[in-house]
Amino acid sequence: MELIFKLNGEEVRLSQVPGEESLLTLLRERLGLTGTKEGCGVGECGACSVLLDGKVVNSCLTAAWQAAGREVTTIEGLAGDEDLHPVQRAFVEAGAVQCGFCTPGMILAAKSLLDQNPDPDEEVIKNALAGNLCRCTGYHDIIRAVRRAGKLLRGETS
Amino acid sequence: MMLGASAIRVGAQDRATGKTRFGFDQGREGDLFLVCVRAAKGPARIKSMDYAPALAVPGVVRVFTAGDIPGQNRLGIIPVSKDQEFLAQGLVRHYGQAVALVAAESREAALAGARAVRVELEDLPGVFDPAEALAAGAPLVHADRAEGNLLKENRIIKGDAEAALARSAVLVEAEYAIGRVEHAALEMEGGRAYYQDGRVIVKACTQNPHYDQGDLALFLGVEPDRVRVVQAETGGGFGGKLDVSVQPYLALAAWHLKRPVRMAYTREETFLATAKRHPFRMRYVSGADEEGRLTAVKAELLSDTGAFASYGLAVCMRAAVHATGPYLVPNVAVNCRMAYTNNTWNGAMRGFGVPQVALAHEGQMDALAAALGMDPLELRLKNALRADQATATGQVLKSGVGLTQCLERLRPIYEAWRHGLSHGGWHRQGVGLGCMYYGIGNTGVSNPSTAQMEWLPDGRVVLYTGVAELGQGSDTVLRQLAAQRLGLEPEEIDLCRGDTDRTTNAGASSASRQTYISGNAVLNAADNLEELLLTGARELLGARHLDLDLRGRLILEKGGQGRTLEVKEVARFLASEGREIKAGGRFDPNFTALDPATGQGRPYAAYAFAAQCALVEVDTASGLVKVKEVAAAHDVGRAINRRAVMGQICGGVMMGVGMALMEEYQQGSTDNLQNYHIPTAADAPRVTPLIVEEPEETGPYGAKGVGEPALIPTAPAVAGAVSQALGRPMRRLPLNLERVMEAITTAEDQQP
Ligand code: FES
Ligand code: FES
Repeated sequence: MELIFKLNGEEVRLSQVPGEESLLTLLRERLGLTGTKEGCGVGECGACSVLLDGKVVNSCLTAAWQAAGREVTTIEGLAGDEDLHPVQRAFVEAGAVQCGFCTPGMILAAKSLLDQNPDPDEEVIKNALAGNLCRCTGYHDIIRAVRRAGKLLRGETS
Repeated sequence: MMLGASAIRVGAQDRATGKTRFGFDQGREGDLFLVCVRAAKGPARIKSMDYAPALAVPGVVRVFTAGDIPGQNRLGIIPVSKDQEFLAQGLVRHYGQAVALVAAESREAALAGARAVRVELEDLPGVFDPAEALAAGAPLVHADRAEGNLLKENRIIKGDAEAALARSAVLVEAEYAIGRVEHAALEMEGGRAYYQDGRVIVKACTQNPHYDQGDLALFLGVEPDRVRVVQAETGGGFGGKLDVSVQPYLALAAWHLKRPVRMAYTREETFLATAKRHPFRMRYVSGADEEGRLTAVKAELLSDTGAFASYGLAVCMRAAVHATGPYLVPNVAVNCRMAYTNNTWNGAMRGFGVPQVALAHEGQMDALAAALGMDPLELRLKNALRADQATATGQVLKSGVGLTQCLERLRPIYEAWRHGLSHGGWHRQGVGLGCMYYGIGNTGVSNPSTAQMEWLPDGRVVLYTGVAELGQGSDTVLRQLAAQRLGLEPEEIDLCRGDTDRTTNAGASSASRQTYISGNAVLNAADNLEELLLTGARELLGARHLDLDLRGRLILEKGGQGRTLEVKEVARFLASEGREIKAGGRFDPNFTALDPATGQGRPYAAYAFAAQCALVEVDTASGLVKVKEVAAAHDVGRAINRRAVMGQICGGVMMGVGMALMEEYQQGSTDNLQNYHIPTAADAPRVTPLIVEEPEETGPYGAKGVGEPALIPTAPAVAGAVSQALGRPMRRLPLNLERVMEAITTAEDQQP
């Protein structure tokens, strides 16, 4: 199968993609983008989260062909030309990164949430991130980071 | 940057941008992929194995079995109990044990090859319960052991517990139980290895690269210098990455094939083929006088190590030592036994047996408070260990005993919650307490750490450490300590970490030991580096007895008015003489071994203390428990990095909530995160970390450790809170829906 889609702003053309290949395998194995993590392979942990047309999806449960003609953003492309996207910056500054294995997925889930709801309260954040597991932080600093990211994006703090 | 402030974590930015390559992410184009063939039953005898069909699968390069292991097929962290076979040798001791290893050009080919290996297994009688394993006539898990299925028995005997119990005004007796728990670090085990110039180089996730090196050398039957281990960035450990996992397979295949190989466990494999927290059954009898002073505690503990010893000896001893909790108990009789069974093996997990005994010693404090009509916090405060008092092993603690401060910090929160409890409709609330103490480092044995510091001629300063960073923040803290000692900013120090070619042994990142033990080793290295520079300066100045001081990049004459020199001049001078500006440091905590009969001695140089309280709400219609709030007071001696300490506390509390409410590994039925649930953000309570700093004289700037203490008091506090909400003691974990509903319905049945 030939597959054409936009990845982190650039067009990607691939041939001979098996029909059953997941987007996660395509990103990690075929394209070497290991910033997208795998934590379960069955849609439970969110470590494999990427943005598909701006909405967060589990790439382990998404077939590669579903990306055809669409736009995929992975953690490597989130900041564009900047060093850090504001959500990434907030995670670093708020101490929301411990081992960092959940971090890429968590940041993309947070970005997707903030796009829809620029000023979520704690309960909304907790529910929105409930599909992204973290074993290190207890979520406390992640929730703080999301609130901080919201402020950064709204221009309320520098 | 001041010590104690909140430093940004080393490596956080690379993690947030996806640049960091973890062990699981290792691998390059062209690497061979390794997959284990695992036994579908156990215990069993391997009647035959035919791997010709696997070799016929396109892409399969080779299949390895136990006969291909050039060295010793018995590994394990504790030198006297190495018994884990990485490829079964005739006998399969537990379900899921690896029997063969397939190397292939792709993951798909390796998986297909693994499926094609034909293994004929014949069932053997097995034993799956530790009490049954110790009964006469039980099938032996390791037939060659003279002690049969008993791995270890530890006793702690102080005073005369029986006599003291007989004289006590109140006695409480109860049984507690806790099941197996999976670490569920988000990163699954993975790594890569290659062969170069007669050596094998393994880069994988690990908590202890220098241990890995030694065991891989044994496995290959070579000297350690033929194996280089580099710690790949590691996505959480919690004890689960202390045993070697993929490393022996990687080393074996790279050694034979002389090609780069990679391996990554699936989540199912991580569940099946790595250690779990030891399950414990505990029977306690505790006594107190009329005023509520503890008179004696008697405890019988039984645990299961599974098919292999792993960290069993350490867990058995540590559980026994900590069994009576952070209290002054004049008479103690503890007996802890651990048995082999044919279950998948159990090993180290955050707390090494102490979270298990904490459930019991805290349950006993609640039961005593009820029997005495006393407030549970007052009872704990009355019995809390204080400076100059003796622990259960007779160790008199001189400094760094902060439990009473922790309880006092909790008191206002605890009282407010107690008074604000609301019960409405189906909901019942409760408040519970948990206290703990935790000996820092390994129990009653030498467990040194080493480090080096170097001042390079170009002005860069390098810290060399073997300490594995797992996400707990050791990179950041060790660099902060080194910087503080030398008068530099942490950013001015480069780190070289976790590479057996370039760093020396720092021991495991476990037992909450790295801040205290390796922190001291780093300070020692910094002091020695300073001495080297000052000696160089004196030589350069031709004044052998000058009193000098190092302040960052300057060397000053003490007293102020004298000469000032730049370190760079001294460095240039030493370099011109061909002398290296590199100094080593070492630290080994002070201890005495425990008496084998009575368990008396000084097993640790320092102890951390903590007290937590939890506010829960139970939905009596569904059995659902919600932990609403946790306040966590921790005596860490000195917080080197505040943010990291708070992060450890919040993470530990959440893991404790999981252990209290939902986590129990059941072989065969909980094999992925779909059916083994760990807490999500929606389960997260509000956590109030309270940092108590009761300086530890021997700690680096007074610091102790917090990694494990953060978790230990949580489950007991939650269990106590649910007990209060339901009006009956809950002594078996986890408190899942079924267990809570059962308690509610049986309580209703008992209503008159
Ligand atoms: S790997 Fe996709 S949800 Fe866990
Ligand atoms: S930071 Fe380790 S899993 Fe989230």
